[in-house]
Amino acid sequence: MVVLLSRLPATECIKFCHRVVDGLCGREPPRRSEHSTTWSPEEWLQLLDSLSAFYRRAVGSDSSEEEVLGGLADVGSSHAEAVLSVLRARREEIHHALLDRTNSISSATLQDFDWQLKLSLSSDKISSLHTPLLSLSLDVREDAALRSVTMEMNREELNTLISSLEAANKVVLQLK
Amino acid sequence: MRFRFCGDLDCPDWVLAEISTLAKLSSVKMKLLCAQVLKDLLGEGIDYDKVTKLTADAKFESGDVKATVAVLSFIFSSAAKHDVDSESLSSELQQLGLPKEHTTGLCKSYEDKHSALQGKLRETSLRLGRLESVSWRIDYTLSSSELREVNEPLIQLKLQSQGAESGSTETTVVSVSADKFRVLLAELKQAQVRMNALQ
Repeated sequence: MVVLLSRLPATECIKFCHRVVDGLCGREPPRRSEHSTTWSPEEWLQLLDSLSAFYRRAVGSDSSEEEVLGGLADVGSSHAEAVLSVLRARREEIHHALLDRTNSISSATLQDFDWQLKLSLSSDKISSLHTPLLSLSLDVREDAALRSVTMEMNREELNTLISSLEAANKVVLQLK
Repeated sequence: MRFRFCGDLDCPDWVLAEISTLAKLSSVKMKLLCAQVLKDLLGEGIDYDKVTKLTADAKFESGDVKATVAVLSFIFSSAAKHDVDSESLSSELQQLGLPKEHTTGLCKSYEDKHSALQGKLRETSLRLGRLESVSWRIDYTLSSSELREVNEPLIQLKLQSQGAESGSTETTVVSVSADKFRVLLAELKQAQVRMNALQ
């Protein structure tokens, strides 16, 4: 279905392919409203799906340029070259996006985190508490939904967490 | 009148009333009773049989027994809460009419357990989502349906924290890429340095 690309002039085609890769990498995908005269809604979805699948397949199976060109036989050569040039430029980025997708297969992933260091001054139990506390908030992505988890640690608990993570980090470093 | 061990407020009427009940005990028995109440406050549990025996001589009814335990609890925890030293506590209790010998015994017990009591109060102060346990596993992903050659480590983390209701735990299982994991660890260490600089 990538053949639908031929309706765009070759110069436009490069821009469009970049936008599709943007969408694949988690940024803004191309908008239907900008191309409503070029393709019907059905064609639009087909094109987007197949082009995105094409890039994922090309990078995912580490295809050579000849193999990639073979898959683009029904598209004009200038358009095929445009698709290919975008692939060359964005291979690294697509690879990264595929890694992210791999990591999120069947598990929740850490999207982002924030922390906050506080000094607790007083409580109903003791008027002078003076205990530093660290709040750690994790944004966990699960099935495209974001969930925020917050936990609070005092000095000992933070030390436990860090030494546990350090042990894990040692193993990771050995793998590199 | 304002008292330091009451947080610079008036002494509650019920405390005032029960101080005279305390005075009915012998000073030795009251000191032993103090030890039991302190045990209770420190979470070691109170021996009610002993408490009954200690108060038997004074012919206390169960209401009086409860009142003496409650008033001692209040004095100890409120004094520790407001960080009152035993000398100030002694003079304030005597102003409230507790005999000198009783006061001395009570304040000696208080002085001995002062820091343990404060530690306990600090520990039982409100905490939200206290981190309880951490487990991890490192996976090395070889290949996937998305990517033929992956060869990247992936960290699986399980964090257990206290839930909003007492006694409940919340478990979070999350996988973290090696890059993100390194950043997380570095940031936590940064926070640790700041935290240690506080004391």
